[in-house]
Amino acid sequence: MIENRPFLNLLTHLVLILGVAIVALPVWVAFVASTHTATDFSSGTIPMWPGPHLVENYSRMLDSGLSTSGTPPVARMMLNSLIMAMAIAIGKIVISVLSAFAIVYFRFPLRNFAFWCIFVTLMLPVEVRIVPTFQVVAGLGLLNSYAGLSIPLIASATATFLFRQVFLTMPDELVEAARIDGAGPMKFFRDILLPLSRTNIAALFVILFIYGWNQYLWPLLITTDAQYYTIVAGIKRMADAVDGLPQWHLVMATAVMAMLPPVAVVIGMQRLFVKGLVETEK
Amino acid sequence: MASINLDNVGKVYPGGTRAVEGVNIDIADGEFIVLVGPSGCGKSTLLRMVAGLEEITEGEVRIGDRVVNRVEPAERDIAMVFQNYALYPHMSVRKNLEYGLKNRGTSRAEIDRRVAEAAEILQIGPYLDRKPRALSGGQRQRVAMGRAIVREPAAFLFDEPLSNLDAKLRVAMRLEIKELQKRLRTTSLYVTHDQLEAMTLADRLVVLNGGRVEQIGTPLEVYRKPASAFVASFIGSPAMNLIPASAVPHLPGTGHAGLIGIRPEDLHPAPDGQIELKIDAVEELGATRLVHGKVGAEMVTVTMPSDAELPETLRLDVAPGAVHLFRKDGGARLT
Amino acid sequence: MKRTIFSNQLLPWLLLAPQLAITFIFFIWPAMQAVWQSFLREDAFGIRSTFVGLDNYARLWGSAEYMNSMQVTLIFSVSVTLLSMGFSLLLAVAVDRTLRSSRLYTTLLVWPYAVAPAVAGILWWFIFNPTIGILPYMLDQIGYDWNHISNPNQAMLLVVIASAWKQISYNFLFFVAGLQSIPASLREAAAIDGAGPVKRFFTITFPLLSPTTFFLMVVNIVYAMFETFAVIDSTTEGGPAQATNILVYKVYFDGFVGQNMGSSGAQSVILMLIVIVLTVIQFRWVEKKVAY
Repeated sequence: MIENRPFLNLLTHLVLILGVAIVALPVWVAFVASTHTATDFSSGTIPMWPGPHLVENYSRMLDSGLSTSGTPPVARMMLNSLIMAMAIAIGKIVISVLSAFAIVYFRFPLRNFAFWCIFVTLMLPVEVRIVPTFQVVAGLGLLNSYAGLSIPLIASATATFLFRQVFLTMPDELVEAARIDGAGPMKFFRDILLPLSRTNIAALFVILFIYGWNQYLWPLLITTDAQYYTIVAGIKRMADAVDGLPQWHLVMATAVMAMLPPVAVVIGMQRLFVKGLVETEK
Repeated sequence: MASINLDNVGKVYPGGTRAVEGVNIDIADGEFIVLVGPSGCGKSTLLRMVAGLEEITEGEVRIGDRVVNRVEPAERDIAMVFQNYALYPHMSVRKNLEYGLKNRGTSRAEIDRRVAEAAEILQIGPYLDRKPRALSGGQRQRVAMGRAIVREPAAFLFDEPLSNLDAKLRVAMRLEIKELQKRLRTTSLYVTHDQLEAMTLADRLVVLNGGRVEQIGTPLEVYRKPASAFVASFIGSPAMNLIPASAVPHLPGTGHAGLIGIRPEDLHPAPDGQIELKIDAVEELGATRLVHGKVGAEMVTVTMPSDAELPETLRLDVAPGAVHLFRKDGGARLT
Repeated sequence: MKRTIFSNQLLPWLLLAPQLAITFIFFIWPAMQAVWQSFLREDAFGIRSTFVGLDNYARLWGSAEYMNSMQVTLIFSVSVTLLSMGFSLLLAVAVDRTLRSSRLYTTLLVWPYAVAPAVAGILWWFIFNPTIGILPYMLDQIGYDWNHISNPNQAMLLVVIASAWKQISYNFLFFVAGLQSIPASLREAAAIDGAGPVKRFFTITFPLLSPTTFFLMVVNIVYAMFETFAVIDSTTEGGPAQATNILVYKVYFDGFVGQNMGSSGAQSVILMLIVIVLTVIQFRWVEKKVAY
């Protein structure tokens, strides 16, 4: 459509540039802060441009961390976060794809009951039932363990619904052809259903990885042993400790490192990320 | 190779809906049978019951000497070609052809031999390593046939395999299927809603309506002697004129028939014809023309040579043997 | 519904077993515990508990603190939803107008989705830090005194901004998708009918966008009510003077810090009911969308 409105075009770009700036502001400030020393803040204002201490601050946090806050080195916390995020993402995908397969391709008594049991998980975010869930996990002896960090979070109604949707849109004739070709249910699942759901699995993985990495309350509650701290929950412990003794440059360095992996995933796999996001809400 | 027998076969869905009732068909070894009827007549359900994709709730289906009611589709020794081809989209053409054989534990050498043979017959050799989405509709259709051929089954089942193709390709593929079947002599059961396709392919036609068999016979038998008013109206294009006997009282020999049927090509202009047609519209088809009009209050169509002169009303005559008589209730054929 | 299915009876249960086991152990069982606890009250030493019926609920109803938390949650959720959706819609409409550079702008706007709410809280806490933060410094230049540690309204504003910021990318992506699904021919027809860009937006685009808007509204309210726990905990911790103590935070605080299991259980049950209502509304929307 031909529309010649130079003023409007200028305004559009102005709005966008301003929007990008506002969105980026906190991260820029954090990044700048992470490249200075503690004394640079004591003058009362923080600098607007990066300083020369980037390598020093980051390597210090990665290797030894902020010992006064009782947190382990950032490298350790990032490893814990990675393990938790991967376990949650893979675990959710595996159990959801299996249950969606059962619900779509079989008829059995209580099928609707099973479906509703899964649906319930959608209605009960962990924050809402946090106290009793904690008690259950403590009772099972899962405090301070990778299993405790991930397993209670891997039941997922959203992922099950997504796969159910994907399977429902697969043509019936594919199962029929496979059955005539002599494939049983598991063979059909492995040879045909899984390969055809590849992109959906990848897109969902991106979303779930971010979900797992960004968990906060749960790891905060069930880890008391510093060896199991995750980075997102660890920052809070550092920030608490610095209220007396301002070490903001180090906290911000940690914050930047905590953001890096999920942000890299979103930007690097933007197409899959958008697909995953839009599909899980259908 | 095998015969297929359907013995009083019926299908009632769990909800109580009846799809098929009391169907008896005996298909000889090597015969090409076409199930034809309007949508919802139960023809696909019947085919799927033979394939083992639908449970048989009444009667018995035999393939060869074996009752297959409770036999898994893969064990029935049949192959099926689907309307949308149902090719596995993530597998190459070769993998598509091999899949069923591998699942059966066929030896590598035998698989290669059969795939090569099918590729030769269907001329799909150049596409063997492509994915289905890189093929045209006609090529996909061939691959779907190939997947059936490599299995060397006792019977081929076709579920409207040509309806996703454009008109020109449909005619070409129709001929190919016919020739292929003649060459392989494999018993075939073919479902279509297209009466022209049914006429051209079938050794014998099975016309279905409302879940019941209306008529079984060779294409010419069905065309010349339709067993009911329904078959008369369904087979043949343009469709047979069906009018109440009372609309043409002076036509001889109608006896006590309720409906009389005359094919458009059996009506001829004659100066002293018994039937008077008031012309409403004319459709030119090139070699012939279709003349639509009214006899009394009834719509009637006549096929005429395109050079004939057209007055406002036509007097028409009909050969005595070309008048079909049907009962008023139910439309069954009289004599 | 699938036409063709497999007839095995045991296999589907085996496939469902992991999901059902986890759902039961970590979701249904704790939820039932919460309901049960909401009917009990523990004595001062936490040794004995007695059945008190609906008394915990009655106490919540009569508690000024809980009513305050309800009000805070309402103000907080509505503010986050409006701020985030308004800002995102503006950006989405702008991106929809640009042709060549829309991909670049999109990339620059989607990444905050990946930032953890806790980290978002810390970042804004730092920017607004009364002694060293950049924004209080600038506000001070124009004579405005910022101190969210003692000022309840400023504390609320802080958590609203941090929570809304985190949600911008999500809303933006859905608005862009919604805008792109409006047929260009409708806007072209309006243009030929003589409607300018602004008029077109308010008479054509915005009304047609309403399914997306409604959907995002529900999602944002759910987000603000339940997923902003980390933002609150990493910044104000509910203070000052209960000014930012939203319901989810209060459940956690009363349960873990206050050790008041009966009250926390009752609060859990109320929150679950709210989630159920919101989920039902959301699913109604999905059904409506299918009907289009």
